[in-house]
Amino acid sequence: MIEALRKKAEELLRSNTVNVIYGYGEGSTPERTRPVFITKPEDVSKLTWNKYCVYNLTTYLKRRESRKLGKPAIVVKGCDAKTIVVLIKESQIKREDVYILGVTCNGVGEPMATKCKACDVHTPRIYDELIGEKIENKEIPFEERYAELEQYEKLSEKEKWDFWQKQFAKCIKCYACSSICPLCFCDRCIVDKNQPQWIDPSAHPRGNLSWNVTRAYHLAGRCINCEECQRVCPADIPLNLLNKKLAKETEKNFKYRAGYNIDDELAMATYKEDDNQDFFK
Amino acid sequence: MSEKTKFEPRIVAFLCNWCTYAGADLAGTGRKQYQANVRVIKLPCTGGIDPLFLIKAFERGADGILVSGCHPGDCHYNSGNYHARRRWNVFRPLLEFCGINPERIQFSWISAAEGGKWVETINGVVNAVRALGPFEGYKKINAIGPDAPSESFVTN
Amino acid sequence: MRTWRLCGELFLFQLVLVRYSIVEKILKKEKFNSLITGLKDQGYKTIAPKKDNNLIMLDEVQSADEIHLDHVQTNNSIKEFFLPKTEKILSYRMEKNKVSIEEPEGFAVKTVIFGSRPCDAASLPVMDKVFNWDCTDKFWIQRREASAIVTIACDKCDNYCFCTSVGLAPDSKEGSDVLLTRISDDEYLAETVTEKGEKLVESLGTVFTPADNPGTETLNRQVATVEKKFEIEKVKPWLDENFVHKVWAEFSTKCIGCGACTFVCPTCHCFDIVDECTMSKGDRVKNWDGCQFKMFTLHTSGHNPRSTQDQRWRQRIMHKFKYYVEKFDSILCVGCGRCSRVCPADMNISEMLEIIATENSQTGDKE
Repeated sequence: MIEALRKKAEELLRSNTVNVIYGYGEGSTPERTRPVFITKPEDVSKLTWNKYCVYNLTTYLKRRESRKLGKPAIVVKGCDAKTIVVLIKESQIKREDVYILGVTCNGVGEPMATKCKACDVHTPRIYDELIGEKIENKEIPFEERYAELEQYEKLSEKEKWDFWQKQFAKCIKCYACSSICPLCFCDRCIVDKNQPQWIDPSAHPRGNLSWNVTRAYHLAGRCINCEECQRVCPADIPLNLLNKKLAKETEKNFKYRAGYNIDDELAMATYKEDDNQDFFK
Repeated sequence: MSEKTKFEPRIVAFLCNWCTYAGADLAGTGRKQYQANVRVIKLPCTGGIDPLFLIKAFERGADGILVSGCHPGDCHYNSGNYHARRRWNVFRPLLEFCGINPERIQFSWISAAEGGKWVETINGVVNAVRALGPFEGYKKINAIGPDAPSESFVTN
Repeated sequence: MRTWRLCGELFLFQLVLVRYSIVEKILKKEKFNSLITGLKDQGYKTIAPKKDNNLIMLDEVQSADEIHLDHVQTNNSIKEFFLPKTEKILSYRMEKNKVSIEEPEGFAVKTVIFGSRPCDAASLPVMDKVFNWDCTDKFWIQRREASAIVTIACDKCDNYCFCTSVGLAPDSKEGSDVLLTRISDDEYLAETVTEKGEKLVESLGTVFTPADNPGTETLNRQVATVEKKFEIEKVKPWLDENFVHKVWAEFSTKCIGCGACTFVCPTCHCFDIVDECTMSKGDRVKNWDGCQFKMFTLHTSGHNPRSTQDQRWRQRIMHKFKYYVEKFDSILCVGCGRCSRVCPADMNISEMLEIIATENSQTGDKE
């Protein structure tokens, strides 16, 4: 599979179809990989693929430094490919501006990442070239996909509050969660706006609650569950629980799943006349 | 008198200019009485209410929040309230998930002709929040300035 | 006259240095509990490594059971006990024509940091220099005075550790008041490094027992071997010459511009001051900030002198290994490796320094 990947990458660079490959390379330790940017055909041997390729490389589509390298081909897993769909829908990129090197994937991380346990995109749903044997994408029932949330949802109000206060207290406001997120592409984040200062920049409980709730909310109906925010959090806050909760509500209320169908209207940019309004007086 | 009965909830109401605000006005001109715990903030449309407004209201000491606008189909800007409805459909469960009682954030549709419904809704919200008591959790984290108890500010 | 006084001071200073000699004692693991209670009785707040789900955090402990010792490195650094992630520096209130200001008090509580690593401890004297420089930072200084550092030498290390490459070692004494080194499964050799440390050990009475055979060579000290990765002497000369170089961009394209590296770093000390206020009152707050953020250098005009990530990454390296050395004669890095462990894109700082050190020898060959 690695050979096929390298061969295709070399071909793409030689034919000038793309200028750069965003891929995975060997990392500091055997249990880690790192993003690599291959611009010369002779460097394709730096590309690798294994179960430690957890990163969602589409985040480099928003970074000026990597975009400077020219038209990219991106190595994406099924989950990462969903990001590209959202980015296209949100007019951040054009389909023809990116070459998608889809890889089939049986789960990444050691131990396996939570996102992989209920994966229904072993084979990317969008790609230009598929590397690896096609794996059939099985439908997974709604309840199973959001099973992780159950133990938190059934907590009492106070338990929930205490749980999240304890989690948010650990936040150091390094903003790694939003920096890594491929869909947090605002040039200037709401937290950086200070006239007026909507979110306190301090890492105290008030500022942390506002920040974490706002970050999650800004991904409502957009998050594709790549879990990068949670992976990179140096304070080990289970951020993806918030994202997942929002995805669940979006799916429940609007029958929408971010990144699955390129023809679907974006959930938060549209409405239906018969949307749920049980809680309105 | 116990602490509980002395507690007067602080309610912030975000109202749309065209319907609910006019409805509240109607209640006023009709000399209808309702509990005076509400601070009204008038906005052009519920569609323009960022969820951060609600967070900010809690940060500044609100015990409860009401968001109210035109009935579906009546929006002055055609679809503002529909978009707002989508937003609250996900934001409300998010806050609930974080441990904020959904009774503290209420939503309603009140038209310019419904002065009576405004009175009912406000009384309902105030009573509900009064029953819940002060929003202790948030009060602990949102004190600011010289009056803030020093332990409210976590340094380590 | 001034010369005489200076000479006198130097003489006294030397006396202090000469007079202090290390006291060796033994600390048994079973005494940890009496150590913590002893400290508590004396009014100390005790900070020690604690397990918190997947993290090992330096945090306040109440009993010895909470202390976690089987790790390479804590996830948070020692810095937050002297320079907290967020800290109120004053509160104010505005009334008609009057502004009243209230300064915080009681921020410097008597603290013992127990079981931090030698690299963490070594970061403190390095940072003392900047916090005692043109403006003396009372928050830092008073906390430093109120704290004692009891370090445990590393008995294991990982690929990210590079203390030996920056002039330290897994059993360095810099910055510690007492250094503990494991000598058997349940015994530590305690060496006092400063008078403060000696007093602390004395005050705890029988918790520390006298060493049977004073003289460290006879004891079986268990210290990790950290491989030396590069010659630090070669780094600064290269940095002096290569402010503009392609390696900056090559290495940092993968950087996503979060501040995680700077926030976990025990020697990164940049902070931002903001007012958090309502109309009439507010707090002036000091928060950690980091050079890897785009906003860090953004001017009001909209101009950003460090507009790309390679410039920001260069700044991090330059500050640590060139500017700080020029100003304070210390390297602003203790080789703890936290930045590399935590980096979302696996940017490894020691790898960057290896590149620099080898580049330098290569150019040296050419010349």
